[in-house]
Amino acid sequence: MSTQNQHKIIGKSECRVDAWGKVTGRAKFAEDYNVGHQLWGKVLRAKHPHAKILKIDTSKAEKVAGVEAVLTAKDIPGSKVFGIVVSNQAILAEDKVRYLGDGVALIAAKTEEIADEALSLIEVEYEPLLVVTDPEEAMNPETIKIHGDDNTFVHHKVRKGDVDKGFAEANFILEKKFKTQFVEHSYIEPEAVLAEPAEQGGVRVTGSVQNLFSTRRSTAAALNLPLNKVQIIQATLGGSFGGKDEAMTSMCIRAALLCLKTCKPVKMVNTREESMLESYKRHPYTLYYKWGVKNDGTITAMEIRIIADGGAYASMSPFVTWRSVVQATGPYYCDNVKTDIYAVYTNNNYTGAMRGFGSPQVNFAIESMMDILAEKVGKDPLEIRLQNGFERGAITATGQNLEHNVSLKEVLQKATAEINFQEKWKKYRSEPNTQKKRGIGLACSYRGVSLGAEGTDAVGTIISVQTDGSVIVSSGITDMGQGAQTQMSQIAAEVLGISMDRIQFLNTNTSRVPDSGPTVASRGTIMGGSAAKKAAEIVQATLLTTASEMTGLDVQSLELKDNYLIDIESGQRLASFNELAAECFKKGRPTYGFGWHKSPKTSWDEDHGQGEAYFTWVYGANIAEVEVDTETGKVDVLNFVSCHDVGKAINRGAVLGQIYGGVAMGLGYGLLEEFEIENGIPKQLNFDEYSLPTSMDVPKIKAIVVENEDALGPFGAKSIGEPANELAAPAIINAIYNATGKRIYELPANLERVLLGHKLVRPKERGSVLKEKDIQAAMHRAVYELLPDGTFYAEIPGLQGVYANAKSLEECREQLQEVLEKEVA
Amino acid sequence: MKPFEYISTKSINEATQVLSEYKQDARVLAGGTDVLIELRRPHAKIPKAILDISYIESLNGISESDGLIILKPLSTHTQILKSDLVRKYAQLLGIAASQIGAPQIRNRGTVGGNVMNAATCADTVPPLIALDAEITLRSNGGSRTMKLVDFFIKPYKTKAESDDVLIEITFPKLPSNAQSAFIKLGRRNALSISRLSVAAILMQDKKGLISEARIVPGAALPTWMRVKEAEEMLIGEKPSLKLFTAAGQKVSEVMISYTGRRWSTEYKEPVIGVLVRRALEGCVKD
Repeated sequence: MSTQNQHKIIGKSECRVDAWGKVTGRAKFAEDYNVGHQLWGKVLRAKHPHAKILKIDTSKAEKVAGVEAVLTAKDIPGSKVFGIVVSNQAILAEDKVRYLGDGVALIAAKTEEIADEALSLIEVEYEPLLVVTDPEEAMNPETIKIHGDDNTFVHHKVRKGDVDKGFAEANFILEKKFKTQFVEHSYIEPEAVLAEPAEQGGVRVTGSVQNLFSTRRSTAAALNLPLNKVQIIQATLGGSFGGKDEAMTSMCIRAALLCLKTCKPVKMVNTREESMLESYKRHPYTLYYKWGVKNDGTITAMEIRIIADGGAYASMSPFVTWRSVVQATGPYYCDNVKTDIYAVYTNNNYTGAMRGFGSPQVNFAIESMMDILAEKVGKDPLEIRLQNGFERGAITATGQNLEHNVSLKEVLQKATAEINFQEKWKKYRSEPNTQKKRGIGLACSYRGVSLGAEGTDAVGTIISVQTDGSVIVSSGITDMGQGAQTQMSQIAAEVLGISMDRIQFLNTNTSRVPDSGPTVASRGTIMGGSAAKKAAEIVQATLLTTASEMTGLDVQSLELKDNYLIDIESGQRLASFNELAAECFKKGRPTYGFGWHKSPKTSWDEDHGQGEAYFTWVYGANIAEVEVDTETGKVDVLNFVSCHDVGKAINRGAVLGQIYGGVAMGLGYGLLEEFEIENGIPKQLNFDEYSLPTSMDVPKIKAIVVENEDALGPFGAKSIGEPANELAAPAIINAIYNATGKRIYELPANLERVLLGHKLVRPKERGSVLKEKDIQAAMHRAVYELLPDGTFYAEIPGLQGVYANAKSLEECREQLQEVLEKEVA
Repeated sequence: MKPFEYISTKSINEATQVLSEYKQDARVLAGGTDVLIELRRPHAKIPKAILDISYIESLNGISESDGLIILKPLSTHTQILKSDLVRKYAQLLGIAASQIGAPQIRNRGTVGGNVMNAATCADTVPPLIALDAEITLRSNGGSRTMKLVDFFIKPYKTKAESDDVLIEITFPKLPSNAQSAFIKLGRRNALSISRLSVAAILMQDKKGLISEARIVPGAALPTWMRVKEAEEMLIGEKPSLKLFTAAGQKVSEVMISYTGRRWSTEYKEPVIGVLVRRALEGCVKD
């Protein structure tokens, strides 16, 4: 019944349209753009995570030879803040700084070295304020406010049935707390832009930008320019993972400000340290899950309370947490649900969009809870999920009726069968305690496709057939490495009956394609692809009409295939695609198609937390098989199965690539990655200390692609980018439990958490009052030294074993004092 | 980055000459896996001159002579891990070299750089100390040789003067009745900085009793040393799990006696013992 065999290009692992450029080094990333007379732009960042700015003196910096502009917030002609949902993110801090990545002043100079020197001459007077780093503390009415009069800036809820009634019906209650960490996107290319004065006034910015249209809106508002005078051009992106939104918007605005001030091109490139210091992260969540359960494993009530650390600015928190609130119960039947999620301001790095967008956090909690439940009622992880999992016609927690093919059980069954899950799970849990123990874990999810009721969801794609039969495609959807341009090209090629080598895809330029919203939420293929299909169909109709006139044959008897016009009945080639294109030109027919696709209707009632949240959903299941070193806490992932229903794989290779990459990234989330911020100061600013998984840590991954074509996607396609990333961590955590019988409630499951059950934290308590004097006296004798690796070393002469080594002097001093206190004790 | 002078030389004499002239203002470059990173750090202290010694051919190579292995300082980790001499007479050193960084770093990074940089997590140092290595430094004033174990003062601080060039590392070949092991614990399986490590060598007599034992933990103590208290427990004993476990516990106790109880002790205390036990077990495998 599948239409698979009819497709020429859809479903094939066609070569990516960007592959040659990237593997031969011809691809131009933002940093590769240089023009004559360009200046270097640099940012002076905050000295304190939370402080009032009393005075900024730029006079010395201005006098440095080669400095062409020094700007502060007062020099911004238009809006001094930006933000898609809540406009409060400072382009440059004006009255106060709210986290260490805040920009305070800008410099444009002839060289980077001059800019650096001038930066060091800007004098800023601060009045430090209390630093708020714990989101639950931030919610306390007594706590100092970071913006306005409330640190809690988002509260989404879902209400279904009556949880009190549900808990009363339960045989027992499961109540657990989970915590997740800050995570860095780790795009390989740090932020970079080149801003140039445009000929007709205004500015043209070429950059490593993910969401060009929102960047344009904010840049235009800051510059007081109409949208048509601000052109944002996408350079080839070296990765984004949701990370090149606000981080790039602020860089674009800053470069544009300097550019308009100096009337010269301005280039800005972040170092990795600047990038990690300033950029936003994935939200840490604190999740309180309380389930009412019957002895047979039925869930009677779910009460969920989640606090998301929004950091210094609102960014995408309102949308990220909205996805979380919609998906917080997982794909499981439950009549009584009460979910509340809050996002709060702190003086940590702000948090925003990152691959998964609010799902990796809740999936960790949900899928851990599911395994806890299974254990309680004596079932295995598969049985409990099959018992409670959604089927077609299920009503979700938000009251949405799932009328499409709900393939949750299909993906669960295919994944578990692949690796013999149940048998292994039973075997591993009963094995005796040894140094190395194996375990296997399962996790599944459902995920709303595209933006959902978050906002307007529409995309434009343009296809233009040239007179020689070559084709140009462009779209408002950005390719950041995920392959959007390839999917859209394949769809265009399929409809036009041409080979992929005829297509040239242009990088997105805000002045040449209509505002298509952001490239987020795994909407590139389903939305951009649908628009591409419509555009191609418009051109196809023109071509076939012209062909009909040319041949005298009926349109219905003609088709475009393999670069030719074909007579369907005889299979005879009537003309080449090139000849047909030339004929259209001769006849004055436009071979230009503009496709606009608007998503089907969704709905949301914010007061009751009910609605048709997303127009369709995808389903996935992951299985991790691990080996735990029970004496050191080291976890190795040995095998992995990742099964996803993608609707239809437009490019099979690209789907596999998304699955492999998603698992690797999820493995980092589960085991290794943690962007630590202590008292508002980030501890890891480069990849020597922020541990990403290497190829030696990623196991063999078996990807299973399930294709239940969806009526709402182009050729049945849905999405895979984020689903691929949102399940690996809970599968690994469940596998660790299967191996050790110890459950990890906080991510990542690093050496210490697996061995000791908790993270190592520096104790906060200080020595007793009596000893305080001795300690202070000894601390006065401490000798500090800056080591060549940039860290500080301290020791107290005469006291053996009392030494410390840390990244900052302050940290080093604190560490030394702790060691000393222990020594004295 | 501020500009600096780049000086490259092919002779040891010229190198010491340059260093005696620049003293602390020069930084020696061998493989560059530490120096380049330091230079690029924000607010890095940029030296006046970088002295590139990587073209001095006489400082490269692994050879044997009179029962000694002569390890020239420019030998890369890759050279060490591929060396037949190392495999035969100093297996633990080859294991350590093979676990440093990733292939690119192993191809560039040198053993001399690892020693001279003296980072707490330097992976070739514990094996070299267990092998009883000596080093020879040369300056304009002449050469001097010392035990490697005596060379280190504290992390990143050695007894080398600013005009010293490391010209040789030597150690006796391990006899045929010796077995050795190196165990490294990192957070991931490559490009990983040692959280803890242990180098161990055991020799057994004909009756199977332990006649000599050497244990050197890495990233555990303020500076590297053999843990004599644990080594002595093993002498004259028959290898057993109980014995090795006890030796591990002893190393753990000794570690705490030097470092005091720190916030990381809760983890390191049990784990260093485990790694010592495993390293010793690795020395009696056949």
